[in-house]
Amino acid sequence: MSFVGSVRAYLQFARCAFQRRAAYRLANWTGIAVNFFFFLVHAQLFVALFGTRGTVAGWQAAEAVRYFATSEALLMVLGVMSTQTGLEFAERVRSGDVAVDLVRPVRLWARYVAESYGSAAYYVLMRASILYVAAVALYGLALPLNPEVLLAPLSIALGVAMAATLMYLASASAFWTEQAHGPLSVLLVAIFFFGGIAVPLDFYPAPARLVADLLPFRGAVYTPVALASGKLRGVALLFGLLHQIGWLGVLVLVAQRIEQRGAAHLAVHGG
Amino acid sequence: MRSVLSDLDLYVRLIGASVRSQMQYRLNFAIRAFGDSLVVIGDFLPLYFLVRAFGGLQGWTLAEIALLYGMVETSWATIEGALWGFERFGPYLIEGRVDRWLLRPRGVILQVAAHWFEIRKLGRVAQALLVLGIAIWVLRLDGRGLAWVATGIAGGTLFFAAVVILGAATQFWTLGQTAELQNMLTYGGSAALTFPVSIYSTWFRRIVTYGVPLAFVNYFPALAALRRTAAAGWPAFVPWLSPIVCLGVLLAARAAFAQGLRRYESTGS
Repeated sequence: MSFVGSVRAYLQFARCAFQRRAAYRLANWTGIAVNFFFFLVHAQLFVALFGTRGTVAGWQAAEAVRYFATSEALLMVLGVMSTQTGLEFAERVRSGDVAVDLVRPVRLWARYVAESYGSAAYYVLMRASILYVAAVALYGLALPLNPEVLLAPLSIALGVAMAATLMYLASASAFWTEQAHGPLSVLLVAIFFFGGIAVPLDFYPAPARLVADLLPFRGAVYTPVALASGKLRGVALLFGLLHQIGWLGVLVLVAQRIEQRGAAHLAVHGG
Repeated sequence: MRSVLSDLDLYVRLIGASVRSQMQYRLNFAIRAFGDSLVVIGDFLPLYFLVRAFGGLQGWTLAEIALLYGMVETSWATIEGALWGFERFGPYLIEGRVDRWLLRPRGVILQVAAHWFEIRKLGRVAQALLVLGIAIWVLRLDGRGLAWVATGIAGGTLFFAAVVILGAATQFWTLGQTAELQNMLTYGGSAALTFPVSIYSTWFRRIVTYGVPLAFVNYFPALAALRRTAAAGWPAFVPWLSPIVCLGVLLAARAAFAQGLRRYESTGS
């Protein structure tokens, strides 16, 4: 297939994923309510923790509240909250339906990433914007106006690809074990813990922080969220972006290899 | 009484079948149970980091927060495993599979609950109990304190069962689109209840005390166990209300589910 043709195919996958999300409006509003409740819990906790203290670990209370407004807004955009699409992919492998996908001239992981971008576009428009505005209005938060924030869209785009590739890799384990619930749930915990979803990484003690900085998971959450909430500058910003680009490169290479091996290993039951 | 026993017998038999089916993919089961046991560590470690970075939380020590966490996590993980059958209730409704349950001479709630027990959640219950045990040991709770902890866990179990059943009930009206709503009170509720309700600002505290009675799940029983009810500014009878409030919520959820069931109109397939 020509280059233009394959780009068009991937765009179409993204469009379909967008439309699939858009079909369930009420579900999106439900999700907004849930995300907002989690935002409230985190914001309330950090306001209580800071109390009258000014700065802890380089953070102020309002910055922490803004971090959680940003993270709850972006979690669905980044696609790190649910393993649903991963489980669906694993089920296609188990049932053998994936054979049909492999016949097509598209790479499975790239299709997975394209679909994640489609969903992400929907969630930017219909979830992140609404949540962020509501959170900012409720707490009277100042918007992050430092110029570094202009790099946030790039970092978010890298984060979406990282999260999607990680999810793809975890669900591709189904080529060997028929199910992928296990690897997917381990992945979700890793993203939760090393991504700083409950607590920004700056509050982690040095050894835990070092591990989080070395592993890929922070690139799927912490880097884009901290950058978009105005907390990533200078060297930390440079490291964050290079970490994302470097790990994404590695993950993509691994995904390519896994796909070839998985396809070779696949045995579809006849019938 | 006999019908309760026969319901229980049926529940145990069906759960046995579901457990056997889950053991078919052994490797995956092992990895998944491992992943689930990590959840507790993944939940609790960040908490420890926070309390460490801030040096406590408005007079609450790490052990006291661990007590709150252990109580709420034990209740929620138990219900998440035991009522996992409700996880896919929305799709069942859409596919018209609820018909089957209506045909059989048993309660629908019992049948949905019994058709799947997620055993890997037992690993999480065990981990939550471990955190709870350490907290109890560090705090040197006496028999009276332990009785309150047990009361809190029992009440919490009723409360989370109510939320799951209520979540399923709303789907009769929204056909599965509100499946996520219950997460606000289950995952969100347990996240909120990991910390003493007293730290929240007035309006949020009122919501989680009088609006959705989350405070009755573990906060009041824990206050009683720690002999802090009066110091926290609550009359001595308030912790005694906990099991009553939780049971009340469960009965309300059951009534809502029955109401929804009356509305159910299959798919015609």
